[in-house]
Amino acid sequence: MVVRIKVKNAETGATVEMELEMENTIDEVIESAATFWSKDMGAYVLRKGKKVLRGGSNLNDVGIRADDVLELIPDPEGG
Amino acid sequence: MGEPLRVGAIDDDRFDRSKRVGWLDLGSVLRANVLMIGAGAIGNEVAKDLALSGFRRIKIVDMDHVVGSNLNRCLFFTPDDAKARTSKAEAVARGIRAQSPDAQPIAVVDRIENLGESVFGEADVVLGCLDNIQARIHANSHAYLAGRPYIDGGMEGFVGKVMVTRPPDGACLQCGMNRSHAKVASLRFSCTGKDVVFHEPRLAAEVTTTSIIAAIMVREALKVVSGKVEMCLSNAFYYDGQRNVSEEYEVAVDPNCTVHLKI
Repeated sequence: MVVRIKVKNAETGATVEMELEMENTIDEVIESAATFWSKDMGAYVLRKGKKVLRGGSNLNDVGIRADDVLELIPDPEGG
Repeated sequence: MGEPLRVGAIDDDRFDRSKRVGWLDLGSVLRANVLMIGAGAIGNEVAKDLALSGFRRIKIVDMDHVVGSNLNRCLFFTPDDAKARTSKAEAVARGIRAQSPDAQPIAVVDRIENLGESVFGEADVVLGCLDNIQARIHANSHAYLAGRPYIDGGMEGFVGKVMVTRPPDGACLQCGMNRSHAKVASLRFSCTGKDVVFHEPRLAAEVTTTSIIAAIMVREALKVVSGKVEMCLSNAFYYDGQRNVSEEYEVAVDPNCTVHLKI
């Protein structure tokens, strides 16, 4: 099954529409979105509402539905 | 009979205003053993807040030395430290002593990975002021296995994050990581064929975000040692100073998390 969702770039507010299989993983969504925005190599997490989505889970596992908006946020490494 | 009451004596007590915070257990704060890993920008601010809050027994672990580019955000470092390549742990210990004469900071100039397990078990609370994912994973897992609360802070530019891990309850720092973290961690170490080299990226950093993240970390440490764990952050706290946003995100326990699987 194919779904269309939106991923929002927390740093810029930009949004990209993605067409995904329910078997796609959150890790794959993070990689695709980070590459699309040519982000610096860094750690990112994807959230739906207040929940951080587990990387290895697929869209089915985390209850993603068509038209959901997920947000890509940086996980800052510096200290 | 104790000391006779003097007019104005209340304003001589260094901790009078702290004692007015109803839930704060100042006695426990004064006695607590704190392990602070990392003495960079967040470490400087954390050390300042720990000392002013009354923490005295603070072990500071850092293998690095001061350089000029640290001076835009590190309270306890001076241009002379940069010239002399003073160890960061020693410079922070010196700063704590200057701020709080009763404090007994111990500087350990080494990588946390080189220290024994006991360094975690001896602490009442562990504060991660680190600048790389590998060291964070080490600190998080060792604190968890020792049953010690681990408060991790990170920042880049105007974005920061704090997460409190309270074993055996709830998610740990590693539960919130994914493949992008693993990729970054692997990139930091590269094999030249002769040796393994650690690559330290030059990340954007400034003091206002550092101060906010450090303050939240020490606030959580105060709750931990005061026995107010129910007041602690149970999720990840995110701060974005560019968007003027601060909020909590929920991180669930990852059933495949290697830290949890070890318990």
